Amino acid sequence: MIEIRIHGRGGQGGVTLAKLIATSRFLTGQSVQAFGLYAAERSGAPVQAFCRYADEPITNRNLIYEPDHIIVLDPTLISAQISAGLKAGGWILLNTTQAPEEFANDFSHSRIATVDATTIARNNDLGTRSVPIVNTALAGAAGKMLGIPLTEIVAALEHLGFKGTNITAAERAFGEVRLLDSPREPAPLEDFTLPTNTARGHSILDSASMAPPAIETGQWATEQPRRQQMIPPCNHICPAGNNVQGFLDALARDKTDEALEILLRSTPFPSICGRACPAPCMDNCNRIEIDGAVNVRQLERFAGDNGKVTLERRGARDEEVAIVGSGPAGLTAAYHLARLGYGVTVFESAPEIGGLLRAGIPEFRLPDDVVDREIDRILDLGVAVRTNHPVNRPALLELAGNHDAVLVATGQQALRDLQLGMNGVDAVVQGIDFLDHVHHQNVRVDGEDVVVIGGGNTAMDAARSALRLGAESVRVVYRRTRDEMPAIREEIEEALEEGVVIDYLTQPVTLHDEATGGIRRHYTLTCRRMELGEPDASGRRAPQEIPASDFDLACHRIVLALGQSPDLSVFPEGTEVREGTQLLGLLETPVFAIGDLATREGTVAAAIGSGRRSAARIHTVLSGESLPITEHADASRDVEIWKDEVIHADAMKLHLFERQAGTEGESLPVSKRRSTFDEVHMGLETPAEAARCLSCGVCNECDHCVTYCPEGMLKRVGHRLEFDYTYCKGCGVCAAECPRNVIVMSHL
Amino acid sequence: MSVQVITGNHAAGYALSAAGEANRTSRGTACGIYPITPQTEIVEYVAKFPFSKGRVVPVESEHSAMAVTIGASIAGARAFTASSSNGLAYMTENIMVAGYYRLPIVMVGVNRTLGPPWNIWADQGDTLMLRDFPWLQLYCEDSQEVLDTTLLAFRLAEDHRILLPALTCMDAFIVSHTQTETTMPDQADVDRYLPDLDLPHRMRYDEARTIGGLAWPHEGLSMRLEIDEAMKRVPDVYQECRQRFSEVFGRDPGDVIQTFGTEDATQILIVTGTMATTAREVVRERRAAGEKIGLVKIKMFRPFPEGALREACATAERVAVLDRNYAAGTGGVFWQDTRAAFQGHRDDLLIQNYLTGLCGEDVTPAVIGDILEDLSERDAAGEPVWMGIDTTKETLQ
Repeated sequence: MIEIRIHGRGGQGGVTLAKLIATSRFLTGQSVQAFGLYAAERSGAPVQAFCRYADEPITNRNLIYEPDHIIVLDPTLISAQISAGLKAGGWILLNTTQAPEEFANDFSHSRIATVDATTIARNNDLGTRSVPIVNTALAGAAGKMLGIPLTEIVAALEHLGFKGTNITAAERAFGEVRLLDSPREPAPLEDFTLPTNTARGHSILDSASMAPPAIETGQWATEQPRRQQMIPPCNHICPAGNNVQGFLDALARDKTDEALEILLRSTPFPSICGRACPAPCMDNCNRIEIDGAVNVRQLERFAGDNGKVTLERRGARDEEVAIVGSGPAGLTAAYHLARLGYGVTVFESAPEIGGLLRAGIPEFRLPDDVVDREIDRILDLGVAVRTNHPVNRPALLELAGNHDAVLVATGQQALRDLQLGMNGVDAVVQGIDFLDHVHHQNVRVDGEDVVVIGGGNTAMDAARSALRLGAESVRVVYRRTRDEMPAIREEIEEALEEGVVIDYLTQPVTLHDEATGGIRRHYTLTCRRMELGEPDASGRRAPQEIPASDFDLACHRIVLALGQSPDLSVFPEGTEVREGTQLLGLLETPVFAIGDLATREGTVAAAIGSGRRSAARIHTVLSGESLPITEHADASRDVEIWKDEVIHADAMKLHLFERQAGTEGESLPVSKRRSTFDEVHMGLETPAEAARCLSCGVCNECDHCVTYCPEGMLKRVGHRLEFDYTYCKGCGVCAAECPRNVIVMSHL
Repeated sequence: MSVQVITGNHAAGYALSAAGEANRTSRGTACGIYPITPQTEIVEYVAKFPFSKGRVVPVESEHSAMAVTIGASIAGARAFTASSSNGLAYMTENIMVAGYYRLPIVMVGVNRTLGPPWNIWADQGDTLMLRDFPWLQLYCEDSQEVLDTTLLAFRLAEDHRILLPALTCMDAFIVSHTQTETTMPDQADVDRYLPDLDLPHRMRYDEARTIGGLAWPHEGLSMRLEIDEAMKRVPDVYQECRQRFSEVFGRDPGDVIQTFGTEDATQILIVTGTMATTAREVVRERRAAGEKIGLVKIKMFRPFPEGALREACATAERVAVLDRNYAAGTGGVFWQDTRAAFQGHRDDLLIQNYLTGLCGEDVTPAVIGDILEDLSERDAAGEPVWMGIDTTKETLQ
């Protein structure tokens, strides 16, 4: 009788290998047995299988303690102990890339055979890459080793239904197996004594024996959990480069100061953006798929208005930087450069600094004291200011001459006009100029019918201001539909609430003087109906005139809010003005255009982003040090895989979150708004809304993984998660229960 | 008929399915099934079998599995199921009901240690806990015996002189998961061996009645006595079924006890299941060396074959009963019944109990040798001996 013991790991097919060898002998008329030693194992656990064959009926039903031969399916199981009980002169077949001679010392009484069954199995697509099924290859190798003809091994394979690559694998291994036919020590082994253990085991009453069994179940794993971090969509989309998830996480923990500190790493204007930002983060919030976006805008305002942070300059540097223009881009650049230790001077043509932050956004959206507070925070860093100081082309060259770097942040000063056939009429005013008058309280429109032309925030601000200044009626005329309006969605809604009428798909054509004898001059604006055609270069559907659709609007005043473009007269003709491009290329001094002047993006948030990037760029030029362009969640939380991708809702386990409606915060009643420039929104009273943040792709220490780990091998230590891979079986429950795709399974 | 290399589970699944299929010309087959290691492959086999008439119902627990099987049987279907260990424990209430209903259900029990502590290996304590129920119990040694005995069990259980359910048992893994060559009968031969089931008290759609409702004490007593009478008829009917089996399949499915070398033995080992294979080899070697040692394998446990056992041990002076089970507070179950069988007949016989192979321990030739040594040195029988573990020092006092 021949007895073979097989050592492998669950999933490699050891029991089937025993059956293959047994079947090959059964088909030649021998008596056979094939069986496994089963326990609570799973894929990857060390397992044993056994095979017996004999000419006479087999009369032994025990395990095999003194095998004639041994087969080892997994290279990691090869050790001296594996040959326990092997009879002298018996074969030991190893799945390894090594030559049999290399094991001659380890198994000195044995004949040794080796074959790279793993590669053969992989090349034949047997099993998976992490668990290749090597049994059919080893059947071929065992056949060669045992003197079984290949035809009989193939017959056994076919008898058991194997075909194709399994047979190829057996044939290859039969040919490739290397045999070391003579043991290094021909002397016989000492008699083998079956180790017996009659000692008592654990008592069920003994509390000390209740510890988990010291089976290192980690060796069963074919996958292991890892900590991953991805980019939340809010962080990705934020034009200012804010760590949105980070400050919301701090607010959710009721750490308002920490939230402000996180915001101030990227933006000096949280209170301003918390009021005036179009908040693309909210349009891209994954929570929309559950019950609506997190109210990020109001939460940023909460942090900005309520947080307390003492800012410090990071050292002092000798270099001086000039910044032309004191809008949000210029001031943001000044803020970051000052914090980095540079000397900064801001040049502003107007009597006060702030640019469009002051004159461009009316008080009911952005009160002056909020702007003052945030500008003061910048000035407190030691930024110098020259107001009433316009900079023309010669002056720019001079600044470049006596500074180490110059940033030009003059925004979009050139206003788009519309030819209505009656230029120079007092009643036609540019929206920016109108808002500037409003800001300086030197305009009233009592009793007037006002028409505002345009669909952006300037149009909405002008229309809403006109209502508050006593207009009888305010109409907005826009040539496309509401969907195409560039204004912040909430501002359109609020304008309509307050009584502004919007004529969509309407194009003004001509303006006529109405020769009436009233107190005011009366005009007639002839408009034409439009329809949307094919998308144009901006991707929006282009409006096309509908023939014979003209109609008239009576009005006293017309506000043009058609957009702005940069005034490039300060640069030499033909200068390409883009962010990051060195201007005035003949000079050694870096001169960069930043903000709307360079990007034309037209929002405060975009200007902040541009100012911040440009400050970093100047710093790199002057110091050689690179700074990160975007703020992302703190990597100190032991992230193993930094996946530089935005996490979308489909990668989140949204069903694991409870529904919870969002918080808007209080607003001034509509009835009161027409008579006051008081701020419409009153802000949130608490930061509780921040708890709705899903923390997409970033661990927020919810610890579902720790709770659900069936092995109890996952622990939180401070901000870190500790996986005990000695016992982690790779079951994947932690990954299945992670709502935010932070725990991911990784193949070994 | 063909020979294949299959496991004990495969053999059981095949026998149950072929028997069920053989009833296709009558009321067909039906059963409830529920998986448990190490018998799952049996119910998987029957669940995949393309029965011509009837159906296999997967249910949510062992208790329901037997409930469905009872319903099927009482409606005239050839009904069967399989379970193991704690699954049998959960099924127990309905196992008892099937017996008192006198339904010829056949169940395959794969002997697995009852937990806790959790353990999946061989131990007969699970089916032996059902020993006082009106079920026939037959213990098998290998795949072939499982297949043959399961088929025989249907014929025996369905005989109108018997009408009791039958349990066919095998050791976990050592039989259930070990692949050996096994002769598989053709369906036509199974059809010949198992005629259509004719259940005298079958429930009929057009004759509403109650079976097993309230019975006054004397009626209950009467039904118990009927069971005892049926049990007493089993040895004779078994021989008829065994004879017919040999005629149809050309193979002896084995007697209720099987002996080796008992004709002149002064010392005899009494064993069951897979221990018999190992013990038989040890006995063969000892006899070749001139020792007068014999072996009795008990195949039928219920009803207990007292007469055959006494006959087989006629020349014995000492008997060792090897039990792969432990009845708490006494000793091995086979030992208890063996002692009872000889009491008043052979009071001079030394009957010693050895508890071995419990919880899946491997019963090796060395263990059998130790038992024979202990037996030969004894002057009198003593307490049951626990093999393979130190009994001199108690862990907890």
